[in-house]
Amino acid sequence: MTAIVPEVIEMPTALPSAFIRAREGDQEAFAELVERHEAMVYSLAWNFFGDRSRAEEIAQDVFLQLYRNLHTIESDAHLLFWLRQVTTRRCIDVTRRTRLKAVSLEDAGDLPADLRAADPLLDRRLKQLVQELPDAQRAVVTLRYQEDLDPSEICRIVGIPVNTVKSHLHRALQALRRKLENRP
Amino acid sequence: MRKLVLVFILALAVAVPASAQRINLDLPGLAGLADKATDVVDVTLDASMIRLAAKFLAGNDPEEREIRDLISGLQGIYVRSYEFSKEGEYDRSLADRLKSQLGATWKPLVTVRSKTKENVNIMADLRGERVVGLVIIAAEPRELTVVNIVGDIDIDRLSKLEGEFGIPRITKEGKDE
Amino acid sequence: MNLENDPSTALETSLRRALRRESPAPGFASRVMQRIERDQAPARRPWWRAVAASLTLTALVGGGIAYQDHQRQVREGEQAKEQVLLALRIAGEKVRYAQHEVRSIGSND
Repeated sequence: MTAIVPEVIEMPTALPSAFIRAREGDQEAFAELVERHEAMVYSLAWNFFGDRSRAEEIAQDVFLQLYRNLHTIESDAHLLFWLRQVTTRRCIDVTRRTRLKAVSLEDAGDLPADLRAADPLLDRRLKQLVQELPDAQRAVVTLRYQEDLDPSEICRIVGIPVNTVKSHLHRALQALRRKLENRP
Repeated sequence: MRKLVLVFILALAVAVPASAQRINLDLPGLAGLADKATDVVDVTLDASMIRLAAKFLAGNDPEEREIRDLISGLQGIYVRSYEFSKEGEYDRSLADRLKSQLGATWKPLVTVRSKTKENVNIMADLRGERVVGLVIIAAEPRELTVVNIVGDIDIDRLSKLEGEFGIPRITKEGKDE
Repeated sequence: MNLENDPSTALETSLRRALRRESPAPGFASRVMQRIERDQAPARRPWWRAVAASLTLTALVGGGIAYQDHQRQVREGEQAKEQVLLALRIAGEKVRYAQHEVRSIGSND
């Protein structure tokens, strides 16, 4: 009779996540976190303002703030929530302080190559119309359609009741539809 | 982090002497900072000391002549500057208490607020278009500087001292060259 | 029901496409790390503190030696002059800093 000796497989020790390493002061790990989340943060600001340099500035501010406050973040999920919340609130805050106007179509900049396959004119027009929405509606629409968040998640980020979020979404979509159809 | 800046553009002055205000730089809370500071600058020059200094500003040196002209209308120059080894060593409300001494003729010229760099308040005692007094309060996390200039002062000429007397120029990043 | 013809669905699909994430310009993470480094750098000591320190030293060195009245007045006058220069340098630096911040705000608009 042959004894079957179970094979002992040594599992490689999993590296702590970048988040945990960054919290312990690992700068490279923090840079990894930035790379992982930069598109999300930058796009929230870019879709809000339609101004790339301002979006970059705000995104940098947010990550600088993250660096200072990383010790308060408890998990990867909390980090994602924190980034969305801080970025959104910062965009609203900046708008209110500087009364930024919507970027004109000419200033919207070139579309990246991978988006040109869609309807570029519609996309640009939609972006511009979103940027013309009132602050709160703009934030809600951006979080809903950029980040695919539902109203219960959005309400925690923006800090308004969920019914208000739904109302903003509804009104925003109505306004966008009206403008796309060139109705007053 | 962004800066909040309020600016009043000020036309520079000529004309009539007017009595300017010296503020009390020995407020409770301010005077005691010397004990906590790692470095202190204390300049107290009244009119007689300024006149004495003017005699020693060389007439044949254009730069020193410029300074001599600049101080010719002054009755007092007072500076208190404290540097600390760590943050939180002074009460940030000191700036408001200093400003509360200023009378109705004082107006803010520039206010710079920054979370990471200096907060600067520049206030001028205005009589018509003339500046007859200046108060500058600059607060950093580990440094507090208060300047009170009493008498007719040309702010434009004051700012143009950059590059003279070995004064470094501020680069685009706000750092010394 | 053909959802493709539902106008709200079509609009939402378009919105998802129009608002999809984009990356910032290349090197963004490096720029953030550089900014963090600048932010964390210890505050530079103002250059005039060395000047102030030397004035104090001069005063201390001179105080222990007996001088004729004239020489004392010369020393006091030189010190007063140095103090005027120091005070104006400090004031000028703060005014220039404020002007610089004003200009940088203006150029970002």
